[in-house]
Amino acid sequence: MEMAKTLMVNANCRNHLSFSAILNSPKNTKFSFSKTMSMCSSFCPRASSSTPKDELPARIGFLGLGIMGSPMAQNLIKAGCDVTVWNRTKSKCDPLISLGAKYKSSPEEVAASCDVTFSMLADPESAVEVACGNHGAAGGMSPGKGYVDVSTVDGATSTSISSRIKSTGALYLEAPVSGSKKPAEDGQLIFLTAGDKSLYETAAPLLDIMGKSRFYLGDVGNGAAMKLVVNMIMGSMMASFSEGLLLSEKVGLDPSTLVEVISQGAISSPMYSTKGPSMVQSLYPTAFPLKHQQKDLRLALGLAESVSQPTPIAAAANELYKVAKSRGLSNQDFSAVIEALKVARFGGQTSSFSSETRVSRRRSVRRGACASA
Amino acid sequence: MEEIGFLGMGIMGKAMSMNLLRHGFKLTVWNRTLSRCDELVEHGATIGENPAAVVKKCKYTIGMLSDPAAALSVAFDKDGVLEQMGPGKGYIDMSTVDAETSSKISEAITSKGGYYLEAPVSGSKKPAEDGQLVILAAGEKALYEEILPAFDVLGKKSFFLGQVGNGAKMKLVVNMIMGSMMNAFSEGLVLADKSGLNSQTLLDVLDLGAIANPMFKLKGPSMIQSSYSPAFPLKHQQKDMRLALALGDENAVPMPVAAAAK
Repeated sequence: MEMAKTLMVNANCRNHLSFSAILNSPKNTKFSFSKTMSMCSSFCPRASSSTPKDELPARIGFLGLGIMGSPMAQNLIKAGCDVTVWNRTKSKCDPLISLGAKYKSSPEEVAASCDVTFSMLADPESAVEVACGNHGAAGGMSPGKGYVDVSTVDGATSTSISSRIKSTGALYLEAPVSGSKKPAEDGQLIFLTAGDKSLYETAAPLLDIMGKSRFYLGDVGNGAAMKLVVNMIMGSMMASFSEGLLLSEKVGLDPSTLVEVISQGAISSPMYSTKGPSMVQSLYPTAFPLKHQQKDLRLALGLAESVSQPTPIAAAANELYKVAKSRGLSNQDFSAVIEALKVARFGGQTSSFSSETRVSRRRSVRRGACASA
Repeated sequence: MEEIGFLGMGIMGKAMSMNLLRHGFKLTVWNRTLSRCDELVEHGATIGENPAAVVKKCKYTIGMLSDPAAALSVAFDKDGVLEQMGPGKGYIDMSTVDAETSSKISEAITSKGGYYLEAPVSGSKKPAEDGQLVILAAGEKALYEEILPAFDVLGKKSFFLGQVGNGAKMKLVVNMIMGSMMNAFSEGLVLADKSGLNSQTLLDVLDLGAIANPMFKLKGPSMIQSSYSPAFPLKHQQKDMRLALALGDENAVPMPVAAAAK
């Protein structure tokens, strides 16, 4: 318990790095995993006398078990937390139930039975529905409880969910993340939070299980805005990378060499190094669905318009994602935007990076779309 | 190694030459504005009064000019490289130009019996100073192999990409992506600021994630301060975007983002 108290005090400080460092490195070894588990089962939400305010969250709810929600909830469970789950399609809950999660049949019941409830939904509409809809989470919220919405939405949506939640006397935190499937699995997400500071402090140890860093950005709307700005830059970068790959191949260069050249220079980024090789093969295993990237660009353009800022690059990139969506690539990884630049031939099939083999491989990828989701 | 000629003492040429001198290479340098050679002379270089004089003296001559027009001028004008080019001599043009300009120079050099290598670089002022350039060579393989000791000092990695034109094209594609990225980054910085966010926080967030890259890390802070000391002059970036789009047009490749960035 001594160790647990020390950890709790560290976690509640602005400088949470020492705590995160213990939890997060080296995360993928057996030793650190069991170390994490032993530390977490003692610290993770038991009441501690070292905290000046309300009790730490003992019971955690998790609404939305998609590409992101499922590994995030799993990390909480593996860390020894008491987790109750809900998902629109119940079967998605089964893997978590077999890991020890409890199940309730509506967001309202989950919220009512938990101290802090997280939600991770695909878009503004789902986020509103789960929070404020029929048997929504708000119905189960009350003073002493907290709602942490990890979905990526626009500021207005977040504000309206916040009002509804806070009208029950509960606390609200928007907390969209930077990072996709693998960082979610590895507990390496970056949380961009805003809203009730005390809920941020309460939730911090939980964020530290699921992530590698967290930011508190002030008023509701700031977290949403930061996430949209980051993903606007990312969407534009992926679109221009796609243009470059295609151009290189068209002018007789090896696109794999382009990927290598880029990795050596000033514009080298993990995204290019990870996605480049599969894009060259016309493969787009889904880590971040293209439809969500387009949604984020659309919301970012809305944000830009609200402050009267022209964003021609983002606008051009957004159009490409829309074309990709119209070609049926919504559930592929967002790197599939490169297909939008390829010329559509008769029959609606686009030209790939020339070989017959690649075309047939891509066809079978499309049929079994989202196998990795 | 034999004495090397170096034409063009701009931001890049000067840094590259100093680097070669520091590593014990003998250099004869030339610049249109001769005074820019002074510092090189202080560090042991000799001056050539024009490109032809430099080529006459040196087995290998490197050119580092700002654009196609300058590269062509240095090659073709009176007292230019071609006047003294001949068998046994090599010309390595490290300027960033379009493939057509490079081909033109290549043909002229080889018709005089000389060897030609195009070798544009990826990297700006600091990588040039630190010998961390990425060199994208194409053309005469034998010349590439002979000049490699100099490349190894100038850069951290060299690529030989085949026939003349391939180096130029690779460079243009890289710089096109870079130009679009810089524009996207600028849009993001401005939007963050206008939305009431802290720009430095945006930089911190970007640096932690999948789109972290050295360019954002290096340029971000000064962009926030609105100070832009030139490592890569904007006019050259715009030149590269124009050349890249022309390449796209020639090959019927749609590039809406690059077009918006230009």
